[in-house]
Amino acid sequence: MKISKLLLSIFLLSVLFISCDDDDEPQLPKGDYENGIIVSGEGGTTGSVYYLSDDYATIESQIYNKVNSEDLGSYLQSIAFDDTRAFIVVDNQNTITVVDRYTFEKEASISTDLMLPRYMTVYEGIGYATNWGSTADDSDDFVAVIDLSTYQVTSTISVGNGPERIVAENGKLYVSHKGAWSTNDIVSVIDIASKGVSEITVKDNPDELFIDNNGDLVVLCEGLTISYNDDWSPKEKSPVSITKINTTTNTVDSEIIFGADQYPSLLTYDGSDYFYNLGSMIYKLDDSATALPTSELLDTGASNLYGLAVENDILYTLDANFSAESSMDIYDISTKLKTNSVAAPIGASKIYFN
Amino acid sequence: MMRYILFVFILLFSSKTFAQIDSIQQLKVINLSSVKLQKHSKGYKVLKLSDSVILKNTESFTTLLRFNTPIYLKEYGSGGTSTASFRGTSASNTAVIWNGININSINNGQTGFNTLTVNLIDDIDVRSGGGSIEFGSGAIGGTIHLNDQLSFGNHLTNQIVSSLGSYNTYNNLYKFSYGKDKVAVKFGASYNESENDYEWLGTDDLKNENGAYNNLSFSLGFAYKLNNFSKLSVFSTKYKGNREFSGTLPNPSAAKEKYKDYNFRNLVTYSYHKNEFTHAVKFAYLTQEYRYFADKNIDSYNYGKSKNYLLKYDFNYQISEYSSIESFSELESVFGSTDEIKEKNRKQFSQSFIYNLSFENIASFNAKIRKDFNSDYSIPFIFALGAEINLLKNTITRINGSKNYRVPTYNDLYWPALGNTDLIPESSLQGEFGIGYTTKHIKLDVGVYYINSKDKIVWTPGGDPERPGIWVPINVAEAVNKGVEFTVAINKVFNKHVFNFNLNYSYTIAKDKSTNNYLTYVPKHLANGNLGYSYKRFSAFYQHLFTGEIYTTTDNLDSYTVPYYNVGNVGVDYDIIKTDSKQLVLGAKVNNVFNKEYQVLPSRPMPNRNFNININFKF
Repeated sequence: MKISKLLLSIFLLSVLFISCDDDDEPQLPKGDYENGIIVSGEGGTTGSVYYLSDDYATIESQIYNKVNSEDLGSYLQSIAFDDTRAFIVVDNQNTITVVDRYTFEKEASISTDLMLPRYMTVYEGIGYATNWGSTADDSDDFVAVIDLSTYQVTSTISVGNGPERIVAENGKLYVSHKGAWSTNDIVSVIDIASKGVSEITVKDNPDELFIDNNGDLVVLCEGLTISYNDDWSPKEKSPVSITKINTTTNTVDSEIIFGADQYPSLLTYDGSDYFYNLGSMIYKLDDSATALPTSELLDTGASNLYGLAVENDILYTLDANFSAESSMDIYDISTKLKTNSVAAPIGASKIYFN
Repeated sequence: MMRYILFVFILLFSSKTFAQIDSIQQLKVINLSSVKLQKHSKGYKVLKLSDSVILKNTESFTTLLRFNTPIYLKEYGSGGTSTASFRGTSASNTAVIWNGININSINNGQTGFNTLTVNLIDDIDVRSGGGSIEFGSGAIGGTIHLNDQLSFGNHLTNQIVSSLGSYNTYNNLYKFSYGKDKVAVKFGASYNESENDYEWLGTDDLKNENGAYNNLSFSLGFAYKLNNFSKLSVFSTKYKGNREFSGTLPNPSAAKEKYKDYNFRNLVTYSYHKNEFTHAVKFAYLTQEYRYFADKNIDSYNYGKSKNYLLKYDFNYQISEYSSIESFSELESVFGSTDEIKEKNRKQFSQSFIYNLSFENIASFNAKIRKDFNSDYSIPFIFALGAEINLLKNTITRINGSKNYRVPTYNDLYWPALGNTDLIPESSLQGEFGIGYTTKHIKLDVGVYYINSKDKIVWTPGGDPERPGIWVPINVAEAVNKGVEFTVAINKVFNKHVFNFNLNYSYTIAKDKSTNNYLTYVPKHLANGNLGYSYKRFSAFYQHLFTGEIYTTTDNLDSYTVPYYNVGNVGVDYDIIKTDSKQLVLGAKVNNVFNKEYQVLPSRPMPNRNFNININFKF
């Protein structure tokens, strides 16, 4: 008996033993991109997606291109997920590309009846995607209702100018309106059953929004520069706030107003604390606090801090570069130390935990 | 006398140009700016594109340059936005010169090579190397000269060139030329249109949606000899173009953008020449406007427009048979505005001197200096030197060095909330050494150059430390470009079989000095060639283009490159009528004859194989 044959027999036997070891159904891996972090980049010439394994040992660039041998196009705004699929929203291509969320194999492409899609959420098996509509028309903006079995847009819901982020809660969709190329100051509330739309006025340019563990809808209103000094530094800005909306009454509950020279652009939540930025600085705010912290959590030193996420006391930040690879820095929140720095896609903007 | 001097100039200096096809007799032709270019280009390489070359590539200015010059054209899909990279320099570092006047946009500092047609232009000179002394801002990588010509002497000619091609493409032009002893007149009109909805090779039935264009242009030229010493000439041209901007992979149907361009250029010249003195007073009035429609179905647009008034006084004193000194004074007033920028006026006065020296056919030399006084920023004092020596028979050794600049554009300076009024002009120092060899049947030139640019204006999100993430322009980059340019033109006749061959090859290394990475969108290797054959009334040609791989990211990622490509065109012509007074030529052309799938820029497939039939009637 050749040695290789012997080894093979031993291997096969061992597999048999191991398989017999456990009475449960074997837990098969769902795909190469399970148990890791998905980072999306808006792109220069095309948007792309990178994968980082949970142990940070494996980083893979351009996973969509690698699996499907094609590019997503520009600009990749965001990704929405359901249990098995990822929905990659590419605005200038009027396209949402559907892939298996763990293998990234393409399943479908939704490219009709969308116009500058931005963000999407999935609620009870149906997709809802915000769309800016025509670049030259600020009254044709809509939320597309997408049948996720046929991948057809089945209807649209007209909303105010520049719908951005969207979340679903208790039969309602909440949409922040950053105002596309101009400005807006509303959050739309859409009753999914009746498709009725009502608006809540907030501070200017609402962007990030999510439901926190207190059941509040939290919105970052980034404010608007009203006038400039001669050197183009902002002279007068409208108020910037973290606004909390009561989702039972759909009214503004409270507002934490920022100081005159403070312009946060990112806000995220880990289940108990909010994290936001001022320039390259990251701040941490307890979700029941009523006043802003006076000192930062840490300084990322990023020249273009463009994405932020927190999970299990680990902070992930994106320093975006639009003409070269970006970088993702990883911080241990308890020690405030940077533990890793890895490559991220061109124009990296969003971080998702897979 | 005037004509004699011109004649001498042409004889002396045309020897150093690479006329691709010398089909026209040039003796009677008057074009001062073209002549002056030759006179001032000691030590430089000048490539000449004759009208017959121009009329072989009437599709677009971009295509003409791409197949016939060493310039890399960055075209956003066929017919879309198109900018030049000359010797690896940026888009605002190639100046386009119309009859001696720089016509780069004041809003963005560039010329869009699909925003004007050159079908009515009589010849084009492409000069490699810096030329800010003569042509001002942006003449760093090289200059492209669009020259109108007028002919005195008894004649009356009409020319109609018409072609019909794939994707409903129609190119038509009419040229009229009339001359008497003292009068020369010309007129031209051109209209082009195309659906331009070519198939995207390598995709599932995707097409170049939203790529249609049409454009209409007129040109007018007039010259009158007032007496034996003085002459008045007028050139005028008007252009109106509509273009849609095609989309990108994977969904070209998402494209909705549309662009309109309007150009209007006028030049009046009065010249006086007596004994050793020549004076010329010129007045030019130029306007440019673009309108950008984000959605072609909606009638609202963004715009940019400019008006440019120029007054020039040129003076030439012939010191001796071998030397002359010239003075160029120029007063310029530019008004520019966009829907975002309120009208701004920029005034500039510039003064330059050029000293020319030549020893028969042995050596010649130019020394040039220029100083500009600008209302908005200070422009460095610049200089240039060029020399040519003919030591060996048929061989010329040339050398040149110059300092050049590119001024900040209105967008760089004044864009609301982003513009930076502290910007200073980009400047570059460069040198070149070359050897040329010329016989009756072969013209060959090889040159090496080095360009060091500093204070390059770059829009970056980290530009202002006070405002991270906001894209602002700053003077930051330093770049080094070096390379080799090689050109050869050969013509051979065996019995009645005429062969001619042209080749341009350029090797370019362009690097960012701070990172030592290659600059993006610069192919290391670029080559194009033309092989022509004619026998009696029949002729055929093959054009080929090779463009090397380019990086698209500043960190030179291998996964974001545009691969190299080869593309070829082939054509045949037959002379149905061939007399001195009448010529009628029927032709057919196949572009991308091998049906190669290629992209100039990522995600933008270029046209598949396409056909064209054409007629050229001169009477």
